[in-house]
Amino acid sequence: MKAIQTERFAAMGTRAELHLFGPGDRDALLSARRAIEAVDDALTIHRPSATTMINECLMAGLSCVVDDPVLLDALIEIEAAHALTRGLFDPAADIARPGVGWGVISFDRDAARIQASRRVALDLGGFGKGFALDRACRVLKEAGATSAFLCAGESSIAVVGEHPLGGGWPVAIPHPLHPDRFLAEFELRDEALSISATVGAGANAPERAAMIRPTDASHVTAPRCTVAIDRSGARAEAMSTALLVADDDQAGRLLDGDPARRFVFDFSHETTMPVQPGEMALQ
Amino acid sequence: MTDKDFDLSRRAFLDGVLGATAAAGMTAAAPWAISAAQAQPAGSDRVRLGVIGTGDRGRTLIRNIVKTRNCIVAAICDNYAPHLAKGKALVSAATPSFTDHRAMLDAGGLDAVVIATPLHGHARQTLDAFDAGLHVWCEKAMARTIADCGAMVKRSQDRRKVLQIGHQRMFHPTYLNALRRVKAGEIGPVTQIRASWHRNNSWRRPVPPDSNDRQINWRLYRDSSAGLMTELATHQLQIGNWFLDAVPARVIGSGSICFWKDGREVYDHVALVFEYSGGRKLVYTSLLNNARYGCEEQIQGSKGSIEPELGRIYQEVPPKVLALQRMREDVKRGHKRAIPIGGATWFPELPVTTPGESLGWGEYDETMLQFEGFGEAVRSGKPLPGLLAQAYHASVASLLGEQAMDRGEAVTWPADLVTV
Repeated sequence: MKAIQTERFAAMGTRAELHLFGPGDRDALLSARRAIEAVDDALTIHRPSATTMINECLMAGLSCVVDDPVLLDALIEIEAAHALTRGLFDPAADIARPGVGWGVISFDRDAARIQASRRVALDLGGFGKGFALDRACRVLKEAGATSAFLCAGESSIAVVGEHPLGGGWPVAIPHPLHPDRFLAEFELRDEALSISATVGAGANAPERAAMIRPTDASHVTAPRCTVAIDRSGARAEAMSTALLVADDDQAGRLLDGDPARRFVFDFSHETTMPVQPGEMALQ
Repeated sequence: MTDKDFDLSRRAFLDGVLGATAAAGMTAAAPWAISAAQAQPAGSDRVRLGVIGTGDRGRTLIRNIVKTRNCIVAAICDNYAPHLAKGKALVSAATPSFTDHRAMLDAGGLDAVVIATPLHGHARQTLDAFDAGLHVWCEKAMARTIADCGAMVKRSQDRRKVLQIGHQRMFHPTYLNALRRVKAGEIGPVTQIRASWHRNNSWRRPVPPDSNDRQINWRLYRDSSAGLMTELATHQLQIGNWFLDAVPARVIGSGSICFWKDGREVYDHVALVFEYSGGRKLVYTSLLNNARYGCEEQIQGSKGSIEPELGRIYQEVPPKVLALQRMREDVKRGHKRAIPIGGATWFPELPVTTPGESLGWGEYDETMLQFEGFGEAVRSGKPLPGLLAQAYHASVASLLGEQAMDRGEAVTWPADLVTV
């Protein structure tokens, strides 16, 4: 039997678990944890951080240098994800400021400088989970790990290599309206998976922020669940979020980019369910 | 740092707690402890202390003073004969004894006095000692009023004499280790401290025929004590200020005589919120009819908690994800099946019951060390740095809490305190 090591802790506003199978020592697992905590420290807006510092600048209409390397890397990925999702993933969207989002921000990655033409603040929480898992996976791989399962909350996972018993990691998405059934099943190899939903357990929790559309800052109310699988956890997070806020046409264009790894389940058509993911998308 | 890092010796204390502290900001956070621990007291030429008050607390102090390497009890004083007799039993027969502190001061032969009398006597005895050219070690709380606390500080400054107040936790290795770990960021930013001192007894002592209730039970009466606030809370308010590295901006509270309706004048049940900058809080309760939760400060940060009286540090460890627990068990049994992802994320927010990690314990005596530190301060004429400010602010906080409860309204931190 292969050795199993686990690290369980609170980070990114959720519970994180790292399971390492086979090669890889305790120090590697702890380093992976530190990588996630470092992302938390840099991206959180719930206590003083590099992100709250630049938010203060952006809200004051000032230009500022991003001197935190973790935040700088995150902003580079966010800029790419914003483009990849055709502007639908937008961590600067704000329900209090319709029309304000990443588009008002000028980010110079080479000079590590950011500024905005209008008052704006970043909320990198959801994106941060996938971004943190990417960095933790990198740490484990560099330490020689060949099989690991990482989770930052139950909606963001990443796997290193293959399942300890061989083959891909089999994961199943429970049906958010019928928890005794699975909505879809996938096999993952060196990939990350992100789920976003407007329905299901916890969706109506009082403290949960509503998902909003960056186009008009309106709430997403459609009963939807989206799944994105990607080599990058950061991209998976951005894509599942974008799919959730997209209208049908926008979602269709995003799904065309990788139909085998991006899914939208619309529960407005509950009577037809369950069906296979490929058939479900955008009914 | 674990249990084995602590032992009886001063050397181990230095190495184990204070030796590696510079990087963690301890030099600024506990300079008094560093000064005290690094003192090199000589065997002879001991600092001569006159102890005023030889009741239970005074005798405990005498037992600690005789263990020090640099202090000696050179006189004792108490105006209650049975207490004085018990004090005499702890010192040599040649030690002079007095029933009036002024007589002891007039007799001379002292370098400093130690005051362990009822609270309302502290200020007068301290000022008299300074006027007699002596240094002062005084039990906490400092005085019955904020004005008297300030007068004690001011007189020590005017006379250039040391004033040290008995807050032994500031020398306690477990507390110092807890502070080191807070400074190192191990529990994240501290946003709340829950402190409590709960007992289940009346606090009333039997009155012997040769005495009277107000003399024996002085803690129960307003003119001589603020009750729980000055006799117990002062210690924990000092810990709050110390670990939050600030003084409160304001305090709100509620006090009542809730259980022991026996003619006492001070509250037997207090609940207060001390508000600090940035929204941080110290939530304080003390009562005299339930001892379940005893005495503790729960120092709470985003990454963990520290409970120094228990000597333990706890990480914020969330409950296991059941699906992943099952996945581990499947792998152990050689089974492979789908891992449910994205199910319910809500989990009951019950108290975390993990055992935590030890902060380390030592048999080293913090009360003894604070007297050795005082002895060195008297010799040099220089107070241990930072110590008096902590004590002064703790006493002000305790008395401010009393005011907030009496008035039933928020009370702000005084703007006219003496600069320490």
